[in-house]
Amino acid sequence: MDLMQKLTILSDSAKYDVACTSSGSNRRGGADGLGSTHISGICHAFSADGRCISLLKVLLTNICSFDCAYCVNRSSNDVPRAAFTPQELAQLTIEFYRRNYIEGLFLSSAVLVDANHTTELMIKALELLRHTHKFRGYIHAKAIPGADPQLIHRLGLLADRLSVNVELPSGESLARLAPDKSRHSIFTPMRQIATTGAQASQDLTRYRHAPTFAPAGQSTQMIVGASGETDRQILKLTQGLYQNYSLRRVFFSAYVPVSADNRLPALDTKPPLLREHRLYQADWLMRYYQFDAEEILTPETPNFDPALDPKCNWAIQHLEQFPMDVNRVSLAQLLRIPGIGPKSARRIVAARRHGALGLEELRRIGVVLKRAQYFIVCKGFNGPKQLRPSLIAASLVDPAVYSLHTQQLSFFAPEPLHQQIAQGADPVKAITAAREEAISCIAQRI
Amino acid sequence: MHRPADLIYRYDASWHGFLCCVFESFRCKELPCSILPLDCPSMSLFPEKEISTDSALAQRVAASFPKKLGKSAHRILSTAFLSGQENKEHTLLSFLILAYQTGPPVFSMLGHPLVSAVHQMQRQVRMEAHQFTGFLRFQDYGEFLGASIQPKHQVLPLLARHFSQRFPGEEFVIYDQTHCTVLFQKQKKLEYAVLEQPPQFPSVSRQEVQWQQLWKQFYNTISIPERENLDLRRNHCPKRFWSNMTEFQ
Repeated sequence: MDLMQKLTILSDSAKYDVACTSSGSNRRGGADGLGSTHISGICHAFSADGRCISLLKVLLTNICSFDCAYCVNRSSNDVPRAAFTPQELAQLTIEFYRRNYIEGLFLSSAVLVDANHTTELMIKALELLRHTHKFRGYIHAKAIPGADPQLIHRLGLLADRLSVNVELPSGESLARLAPDKSRHSIFTPMRQIATTGAQASQDLTRYRHAPTFAPAGQSTQMIVGASGETDRQILKLTQGLYQNYSLRRVFFSAYVPVSADNRLPALDTKPPLLREHRLYQADWLMRYYQFDAEEILTPETPNFDPALDPKCNWAIQHLEQFPMDVNRVSLAQLLRIPGIGPKSARRIVAARRHGALGLEELRRIGVVLKRAQYFIVCKGFNGPKQLRPSLIAASLVDPAVYSLHTQQLSFFAPEPLHQQIAQGADPVKAITAAREEAISCIAQRI
Repeated sequence: MHRPADLIYRYDASWHGFLCCVFESFRCKELPCSILPLDCPSMSLFPEKEISTDSALAQRVAASFPKKLGKSAHRILSTAFLSGQENKEHTLLSFLILAYQTGPPVFSMLGHPLVSAVHQMQRQVRMEAHQFTGFLRFQDYGEFLGASIQPKHQVLPLLARHFSQRFPGEEFVIYDQTHCTVLFQKQKKLEYAVLEQPPQFPSVSRQEVQWQQLWKQFYNTISIPERENLDLRRNHCPKRFWSNMTEFQ
């Protein structure tokens, strides 16, 4: 089998892995060797699905002894199988890297023979890159659940980032859909990586040449929509992972049906992209806006509102806290105002030292006044003249859901709209009607 | 106070040349209505003043930045100067007049139209440079790696360190088609040059074509068809970059 065929098979089977980030590690280039890393990561290309391609994302092999229901590489699935040799993989990485196609390598693998054997093969490939080729670019390696802790340790000394996939948002779903994996086999390496990483960064403050262990930390991903958890359960799990395992990122992957199985959604189910999008928005609220999972989704409403982003949703449930005076409230409070993000909030805090800000200044700073105007007062502005709930609702309703690009429905348009249009409804009329309905729903809640 | 003058400054389009314009403007206490490069055609009938570039003078102005405007002033201003925006010189000079009155805090007065304009200019330049650290594509010509880019802003100075650190053992050429400039690394040394004519890159080897095909195959395979979203791709990687990117050839 030639390199082209192997690359095709092994990138095709790696594509459902979400993470392709190259951030979190800052390594200058050396006098010799090849490569460097950039703290915020670099996107080198964007594929047709709009996702960033930063790393050469491939499996070492897709020959698997596990039989996880949701996975395209499950042992009972009839797909072409292949395996890279460590040499092939190293050469591919180096040649792509030299041409500036990629920022580094994301190496994952199916479980060939067993977890230890697979991990040893991965280590061999990474050692070839790091030691023989003196490769200083980014490496993200997947820790295989069940591998010996010593092997995971060696992997961490070679990689910038390690990840262990949580796979599914609860232990029950895991037992049902991934019988070969257990909570224990996932959380044990996660704990090990967190502890060793913390120790290594502490050593680095004392000894300049202490070995680094996964300096870009660890991430994980879970599949959304293959099992029955609520958004609130997923969000609370996510928060727990950030707090207890000091994860850098938690990724969500809308389930794309890859094989027929009566434990899973039917093959013609569309991936729940809007839900995934809302989870990422909530994830940002927790990481950059100082929100707690409990504030974003309550036991009474455990799922996201399809028409509103989670921040606007919080705002209309807490109208008693508004309007806020942008010239007085704290940074944390500024971050709660719809239309103000972390960047504009910081700019406001810096700029208001020189004098009170009015609407024009806020606009220049980058505040989205269309939304913010209903929630703020500032110099020369005591709130909009009209405070009708329907107006507020119209400014908040998520434009990413109810919009029409060149006669095409938005990527996030709800399923009923797709059906109406498939049955011959006029797209413009259908979407306007759906939007009006969403607005009146929101207005009633205000 | 600087009085607005019905006057156009002409300069050689260099950073030092611009600093001499700043000097002249402060010497005469005037704010010209426009500052244009020598070769730039002008539609107005205003009289013109040609400002010659004097490095010693320019260095005097540059030396005043850290003293009067704070540590980050030189970095912000020289980055903003790389912008391809029309009238960048006039914006920068107007900003400097305000800045010398206000001192270092001027950089955090983000609600002020001039301050926000300068910040925006330097953000755009840095943003585009960052995009090219990813979107630039080298071809292996055997003896060296070569790339062409078509930036809006003069990003080469901001790319130099990044690529030279990343590829210490390589010889490479990056050609800026918009501004007809090249950055090259030869025998571990970095150099810039302004070109009269576009450089002639040799044709590529069969082996190079194979690597390009492998990359294209990877690029096409890694996308999930059920999630295709071309609008999103265009938002992240606008079409103006495509003509020099291997995967779109």
